Amino acid sequence: MADSSRIRALLDKDLADLWLNPALFIPASLTAFFSILLPFIVAIVIPAFVGERLSDSSDFEIAVSSYRNQPSVSGLNSEGAIQAWIFQHFLVLLVLTPVAGSMSIAAHSVIGEKQARTLEPLLATPMTTFELLTAKVLGSLLPSLALTALCFGIYVAGVAAFAQPGVYRALFTLSSLGIVFLLGPLAALCALQLAVCVSSRVNDTRSAQQIGALVILPIAGLLVVQLTGTFVLTPPVIAYLAIALGGVNIGLMLIGVKLFDREAILTRWK
Amino acid sequence: MLMASHLTRRFGSRLAVDDVSFALAPGEVFALLGPNGAGKTTTLRMLAGLIEPSSGSVRVGSDTMSPHSASRLRGQIGFLTETPGLWERLDVRRNLLVYARLHGLAKPGHAVTEMLDAFGILDRAGDTAGQLSKGLKQRVALARTLLHKPGVVLLDEPTAGLDPGSAREVRDLVLRLRDRQHVVVLSTHNMDEVERVASRVAVLRTRLIALDTPAALRARLFGTRLRIVLGQPASPFASILAEQGFNDVRTQESTLSIAVDRRPSSAPLVVRCLVEAGADVYSVIAEKPRLEEIYLRLLEGDVPQARDTNADHG
Repeated sequence: MADSSRIRALLDKDLADLWLNPALFIPASLTAFFSILLPFIVAIVIPAFVGERLSDSSDFEIAVSSYRNQPSVSGLNSEGAIQAWIFQHFLVLLVLTPVAGSMSIAAHSVIGEKQARTLEPLLATPMTTFELLTAKVLGSLLPSLALTALCFGIYVAGVAAFAQPGVYRALFTLSSLGIVFLLGPLAALCALQLAVCVSSRVNDTRSAQQIGALVILPIAGLLVVQLTGTFVLTPPVIAYLAIALGGVNIGLMLIGVKLFDREAILTRWK
Repeated sequence: MLMASHLTRRFGSRLAVDDVSFALAPGEVFALLGPNGAGKTTTLRMLAGLIEPSSGSVRVGSDTMSPHSASRLRGQIGFLTETPGLWERLDVRRNLLVYARLHGLAKPGHAVTEMLDAFGILDRAGDTAGQLSKGLKQRVALARTLLHKPGVVLLDEPTAGLDPGSAREVRDLVLRLRDRQHVVVLSTHNMDEVERVASRVAVLRTRLIALDTPAALRARLFGTRLRIVLGQPASPFASILAEQGFNDVRTQESTLSIAVDRRPSSAPLVVRCLVEAGADVYSVIAEKPRLEEIYLRLLEGDVPQARDTNADHG
């Protein structure tokens, strides 16, 4: 039976330690910065630089034609609708923020303890493997989600400030919020559990991060298929994806507990 | 209180610990000696419930260590690992507070303050662990080990790398633990430390090659000898003593070293012989080979496996 007070004790310690080691946030912060910047370059900077409007492009008009029927963009002019389409589709990139953040923190979380020789005293307490892994996963996930929420706020504020009036409202649809606040955390959980699984078996943080990076590929793929219009993240699709990711996460947690071999960590890690 | 029965541990084909048995009572300080790689840390880890024995068992009180009971029993054991293992960025109080909560102490903050005070580091509570000297880190680690008042305390090389003052503090602590009826198992290379604190000594080289009190080991390996300093050259008196049945007599200038065959009561007889023969006896002391000599002789020799008979009776 898991003891939540032990999980909280280690979680509090991990969060306090993380607060004092902000360098761990650099990968996630860089990812967030470029994820936010990219759609603004496409929708605002390039048109302003070349002196053309997005709506002058027939390609954009065709791409957005079906999208324009959605209630969230009904009041927008052509330029605003195209901007809304770009900003909404590029939201998928924001999912990379918690993924990158979780991976760097999680890989450090187990391997860092071992490298600092703090893991053995921890394993000598009544804490079980499940409790230890749960605390480690939450300690990586929660800060990354906080960073994602902050980035979403910045994104919305940027859109409100620089895009056509009313475009920001398109970011408050069920799909947009589902992508950021449901798929994002679940994908991050997936990545960090992979990282924790791997980090309990390897001895350097880079190996763990490289395996966890596998999660980035499907997210990048999702962005591409969205932009080509072959696959659209509607609320039902998001719900199915969330269920699938939830199942994967449960599986990874079970595998993680199995793989986290206390003995191997103590006796083979040098 | 703590019993190891036929503990054996293999890592692949390598045998790290072979059939080690002993039983320890409250108030006992048990020293594990052995060369590097002898299996001391592996034995401690098995006792602490960190790794499972390949065969054999560990009992803490009336409970046998198993994957099911290990989590609970770890709460009754304090394990000081080879390195302090403190979170360097966190302050001393926070380091201990995490463990107080992991052990489920009712008033973790109070328990931490009490322990910091007991170890004389209350004034350093706000310092980050990374700022502390090695001796202070070890003190914090010891405070962490004893925070939950465990009945069994396992110390893996507690004075390694410490200055003499800090090492002495650790030894004093071990003696206090003994007086409070804790079971203390001490793994160390420091013979002086063992000499001062251990009630029993086990010499381990994958298997136990000796297990007894330091005095009994000394007597077993070296017998009992008297060292007598005379006021004149000693050699003429060797033959006189030989006539009295003391056959193993060594002389060096004015000093005699006489094997009294485990009979310290022979001292008056020896002195009387010498005085009657005209010797001026300046001093008589029982020769006490250093534990290091005992240890080295044990490791050199082909000694049969030792076993604590108490462990077999459980």
